[in-house]
Amino acid sequence: MKALLRAELLKQGSTRTGLGLFAAMLGLVLLAVLLHSLLPAEDLARRNSQLVVLGRGEFLGTLFAALLGALSITSEIRHGTIRPTFLFTPRRGRVVAAKVSVSILIGAGFGLVAGAVAAAVGTAALRTRGIDVRLDGGDDALLVLGAGAAGALWAAIGVGVGALVRHQVPTMIGICAWLLFVEGLLAGDLVGLGEVGRYLPGAAAAAISGQEPGTLLAPAAGLVLLALYAAVAALAGWFATSRRDVV
Amino acid sequence: MAKRVDERGAPVPPEDGARDPVVTVRSLTKRFGELVAVDDLTFSLHSGTVTGFLGPNGAGKTTTLRLLLGLAEPSTGDALVFGRRYRELNDPARRVGAVLESSDFHPGRSGRHHLRALALAAEIPPARVEEVLALVELEAAAGRRVRTYSLGMRQRLSLAGALLGDPELLVLDEPANGLDPAGVHWLRRFLRLFAEQGRTVLVSSHMLAEAALTVDDVVIIDRGRWVAAGRLDELTEHGRTLEDVFLELTGAVS
Repeated sequence: MKALLRAELLKQGSTRTGLGLFAAMLGLVLLAVLLHSLLPAEDLARRNSQLVVLGRGEFLGTLFAALLGALSITSEIRHGTIRPTFLFTPRRGRVVAAKVSVSILIGAGFGLVAGAVAAAVGTAALRTRGIDVRLDGGDDALLVLGAGAAGALWAAIGVGVGALVRHQVPTMIGICAWLLFVEGLLAGDLVGLGEVGRYLPGAAAAAISGQEPGTLLAPAAGLVLLALYAAVAALAGWFATSRRDVV
Repeated sequence: MAKRVDERGAPVPPEDGARDPVVTVRSLTKRFGELVAVDDLTFSLHSGTVTGFLGPNGAGKTTTLRLLLGLAEPSTGDALVFGRRYRELNDPARRVGAVLESSDFHPGRSGRHHLRALALAAEIPPARVEEVLALVELEAAAGRRVRTYSLGMRQRLSLAGALLGDPELLVLDEPANGLDPAGVHWLRRFLRLFAEQGRTVLVSSHMLAEAALTVDDVVIIDRGRWVAAGRLDELTEHGRTLEDVFLELTGAVS
């Protein structure tokens, strides 16, 4: 298994895909945090609003970690490297397990960096506008570590979804659509899932870093729930990849 | 170990029958819904030969090779390498090298990194990566992204991947597709040398005239079904070409 992990790490490091995703994530984190910090000062004075601003790190870290995880398998299918990969490791489940492990590692890194940058830049932006920052060191730590955990677990979900869907473009669009719109629509007034909305995987990810206290789950509950989602997605991907013929 | 050879200089398997054929395909059938891609196919290969796996496009050659290599499951029947299903081999990369598509690369990864990732997975030392790069004459381009490679270079990189584990059996699907005459010549010599070391090659092709220059034995299929198998020189005696034989036989089964 150690050999497979090293092979997956080399695959991740030997193209520009990971670096490109990382750079895009950083750029969007900066943009999102700075745009949110332009909201009216009276709104930003509230603690919950400040959590939303700094929480953009968790949100984008999660999204890009999920895309990275999904790409780790759909890119191999798209370019056909999945064939040599499985010829060298015919026990395909082990390849999926290695991809999940490596994606969790890199996804955690994405989340931690996105969370830390958002916390630092968001705090600085609020201070620059003369707004009293009502988040303490504990809140910041939870935002950063929670983003790391959310990124790690959503990267595993990405691998699972990618292994199930297999086609790269639908997988990427599906993940983006889910995190950017679908969850919001389901939880919003239109569909009115209301209470149930907090149990959706994107909301669980946000809960880990302490966002929207009272509305979302407590951080520990969010962590457990998202870990369950990740386990189910990874197992489904493992099972489907082991069973189905390789395209 | 001395290898027994027949009067033509080709190795023959020991009489005791203790050694499994390199490839055993037995009543192999693969259905995709209504379509029967491979239909009750049976053949076997022994070591030290280059066998051409021939048939028109869509005959089921690639499907058969995918079944043999564990990338797809047979509907019924067996496809075995060294007496086992591919997925049950202990160290598959060191026993079987295969190329199904010669374009199976990430365009943004260098040839060397492509091979290193495979080598890591099979615990093959990195020095072997440099060896196979030299073998296929790609050392100079190894650091470049595959995106910049010509078709011939990609074919050779695929072959390098198949050779990483120094396998006993080489399975190649249409390896001459898109090669220029020099490339085809190079490949033909390479496969002959490989078989002369007592190893085995199974090479599929729909180009009968080209295949006739390279192979010792043939297995011919059409519409998923077995048409003929045997030594090329016996099938093509009396001055008939492989094409004549093929047209006659496939005409007879339709």
